[in-house]
Amino acid sequence: MVWFSTIFHRNRRLLNFGCVIIIFLLITIFQGSVRPFLGNMALSIFHYPFSELKNGIESLKSVAENNRNLKNTLTEASLQLSFLVEARRENQRLREFLGFEPPENFRVVPVKIVSLGHNQYPIAAVINKGTKDSIRINQPVINRFGLVGKIKEVMPEFSTVQLITDPANAVSARIAESRQFGIVRYNPEEGMIFDNLPADASINKGDLIISSGLGGIYPSGLSIGVVDSVLTVKGEIKKSIWLKSNVDFLEIEELYVLESVPQ
Amino acid sequence: MKVIPYLLYLFLITFHSIILSDIISILGVRLNLLILIIVIIGLFKSETEAIWFGLSAGIIVGAAGPALMPWEVLVITIIAVAVKQVSSRINLESLASKVVVLASSVFLYDVIKSLIISTEEFLFVLVRYILPGTAYTVLIGLIFFLIKDGRISRQKIKALF
Repeated sequence: MVWFSTIFHRNRRLLNFGCVIIIFLLITIFQGSVRPFLGNMALSIFHYPFSELKNGIESLKSVAENNRNLKNTLTEASLQLSFLVEARRENQRLREFLGFEPPENFRVVPVKIVSLGHNQYPIAAVINKGTKDSIRINQPVINRFGLVGKIKEVMPEFSTVQLITDPANAVSARIAESRQFGIVRYNPEEGMIFDNLPADASINKGDLIISSGLGGIYPSGLSIGVVDSVLTVKGEIKKSIWLKSNVDFLEIEELYVLESVPQ
Repeated sequence: MKVIPYLLYLFLITFHSIILSDIISILGVRLNLLILIIVIIGLFKSETEAIWFGLSAGIIVGAAGPALMPWEVLVITIIAVAVKQVSSRINLESLASKVVVLASSVFLYDVIKSLIISTEEFLFVLVRYILPGTAYTVLIGLIFFLIKDGRISRQKIKALF
């Protein structure tokens, strides 16, 4: 063995070169066996783990990209859905209004609210039609639930509606059943009140209050509200009635201006 | 001869060629880490280590395209042996000589490889990829040599600021 070790150490350089040349020749000559064997071994040991890692990273990137795209699509879809839900609500409201009959000699002009003027409670609304659309001062404004107010100011493309919740806007009204007259006004502290009613007037909770037609602004028969509670003070000749308005002034959207039709 | 460090070098070369080279490339110009490591081993290790590492690296790099495996093995092994031969005849203390060896090795490898596999016009490849790639590799090699020689150290960098 000593002679072998001596030969090995003396000719190490030669052996190295010899082995490398033999391997090179094997790789070159045996294309179908040695090359695939070495290639597969090198690929599975050295390339495969990093290729998997790279694929994983790229897959994560692609997942992140997809996630971003899906989020964008979801946002757009949610937006469209909210528009559709809103359109469905509007459609429903308009369908309900189709059954509404305007007072005789009046036609309805649909308008939309641009802004609401608040003072604890809405007292005025700006609508999207004005003199260009034949809107005039003092025209009554309603929605599908009843009387809302009257036109107070008119501009070419906009108008201001004075709501019946404005304390300065009193409406001549009557009890639908007993036909007795009174005045409906709104007090920010007490709410909607129907007063100036004789103390002996017959009235019950739930009675409907409608516009009387007196005063020349509001046509008769427009629903205003229902009786919520009655206050009779002994010795007083008038009684006050608290009303529950038919219209929810915090949620008004589509309004209709009543335009008189010349006979 | 310790095998594990060389296995780690081979893993580093594959990691670089598969994942890192795209990330650290500058305008498509890639660092030639394979030749950088071959040159470093050729300069600082024995001939046996250089020749066997060159052969192994050639097989592993060539595994990606088996048709070119003999070329890769031949070129890389010859460069490893050549660097070892040159390193025994130059002054290894000189930074310039090491840089010249590195630059000529990278340039030679890239030129041979582009002549064998590139389908684009050689001059374009030379100007667009080979020369900038050589410069990039030499820059990284230069930093390595400076650190190895102790000309760049943490203390010196701290002293600068």
